[in-house]
Amino acid sequence: MIRRTLVMALLLVTAAVLETALFPSLALFGFRPDLLLLVTAVVATRDGPMAGARVGSAAGLLGDLLVTSAPVGLGVLVVSVLGALVGWSRPYLAPSSVTAPLLLVAAASVAGTAAHGILGGLLVDDRPGAELVVQAAIAVGLYNTLLSPLAYTLVRRVSDAFPLRGAGFQ
Amino acid sequence: MFQRRRVRILLALLVAAAIALVTIDFRGGDEGILDRARGGVTAVFRPVQDGVVTLVRPFSNLGRSVSELLAIRAENERLRERVAELEERRRAVSDLERENAEFRTLLDIADRTELDVAAARVVALAPSNFEWTVTIDVGADEGIERGMPVIDGDGLVGRVIQVTPGASRVLLAIDPSFSAAARSAGDGEVGILDGRGGDPMVLRLLDPLADLAVGDQVVTSSYQGGVFPAGIPIGTVAAVGEGGSALAPEVQVNPFVDFTRLHHVLVVFSTGVDDIPPFEGSDDLEFERPPVSPRLDDDADDDVDDEGSDEETSDGEDAGGPDATGANALGAPRPRP
Repeated sequence: MIRRTLVMALLLVTAAVLETALFPSLALFGFRPDLLLLVTAVVATRDGPMAGARVGSAAGLLGDLLVTSAPVGLGVLVVSVLGALVGWSRPYLAPSSVTAPLLLVAAASVAGTAAHGILGGLLVDDRPGAELVVQAAIAVGLYNTLLSPLAYTLVRRVSDAFPLRGAGFQ
Repeated sequence: MFQRRRVRILLALLVAAAIALVTIDFRGGDEGILDRARGGVTAVFRPVQDGVVTLVRPFSNLGRSVSELLAIRAENERLRERVAELEERRRAVSDLERENAEFRTLLDIADRTELDVAAARVVALAPSNFEWTVTIDVGADEGIERGMPVIDGDGLVGRVIQVTPGASRVLLAIDPSFSAAARSAGDGEVGILDGRGGDPMVLRLLDPLADLAVGDQVVTSSYQGGVFPAGIPIGTVAAVGEGGSALAPEVQVNPFVDFTRLHHVLVVFSTGVDDIPPFEGSDDLEFERPPVSPRLDDDADDDVDDEGSDEETSDGEDAGGPDATGANALGAPRPRP
């Protein structure tokens, strides 16, 4: 369990570093992917709401401290709730479907980006416009969907190597 | 059920923690504990981020260079099209400027000479290599008649030789069958100007002792009822041939008009001076022949008559008078060889 936690932390740190160092130069229409949100959604899709909420809280906190200038705690709130919601919706997906997880990741990315923009706008003075929030949500949704097969492959290997154990995990 | 409950509890705790963090962050301001934590995390991650940026910079620069190359190619194509468009427009403007200058020159000469003129556009050149004519786009409908002079901004162009309702043919002044009365603009020496095709025109002076110099200007003359108004520039003296006591020198004249670049011309509504009837046959003659001097005998009287008769004939031949070659002197076409 500890090793899994360390590997997951390493995965999140890598995602945060890539998001801040690599993807600014690979921006799509001026927007970069939200890798922390992507990893959370993929983990929640594979391992359920408990793992989603825990990984989401860590990812949100890392994002608050490293990636965004929004108030600390906003990312924790948004990403952990999204992780839990994605995990809860997992039983409703067809097990053999390939596109359903991708659509779930896309929806989670759009909703997470929009929620982050809206809540951030409510908490700080220089709130982004509705048009910018919509554009960012769509762009991040597309970008995360493009990267989700890679993220799924990576998370599946980690989960297979370090399976979840203990109460509350499926 | 148990698991769902645990997740709900965890989620509630996380939401409460998130709200608490937001509150602490707001209350702490710029010097709060969370702001210091943010600074610490940034300081820890900065070297890693710098390393990653250094690693990926060449690749990102490559990607940026490729995208810039594509953009530059597209812009280059767009600029090439723009240059071609502007070049075409510039050529059109140059043509309009040249045409404008021609019209201004034509207007200037029309105002200066106070001639009644009609503007025309040259629409065709002579189909033959042995005649120098052009076709203009005005004809009988515009009042054009045969024999009317044609000029442009540089000077004498030729004479109308054929008229149709909507077009006319103009015999150029350099055509070998063209002749016109001309004079030196400087000293007024009169002569007959002939075309020579591609060679300079030739001015045959009436006075064998006339002294013309290279560079003197030659203009049309109304001498002996020529069809051309006096004073239209023809050209400059290029060379003066040998003359003598009885042989008038041939003067080569370079025309002012560039006959290879005729675009717009003016047709002059002038038919020249009317021909005067022969001296002896005139009904309203008020001149009385002076009586024969009593000191002269009949032979002398006959000599005087003969002499006068010879002079008339001689003048007529030299001057291209109306009876002999007068038609040429007045600008009528001569038969081709």
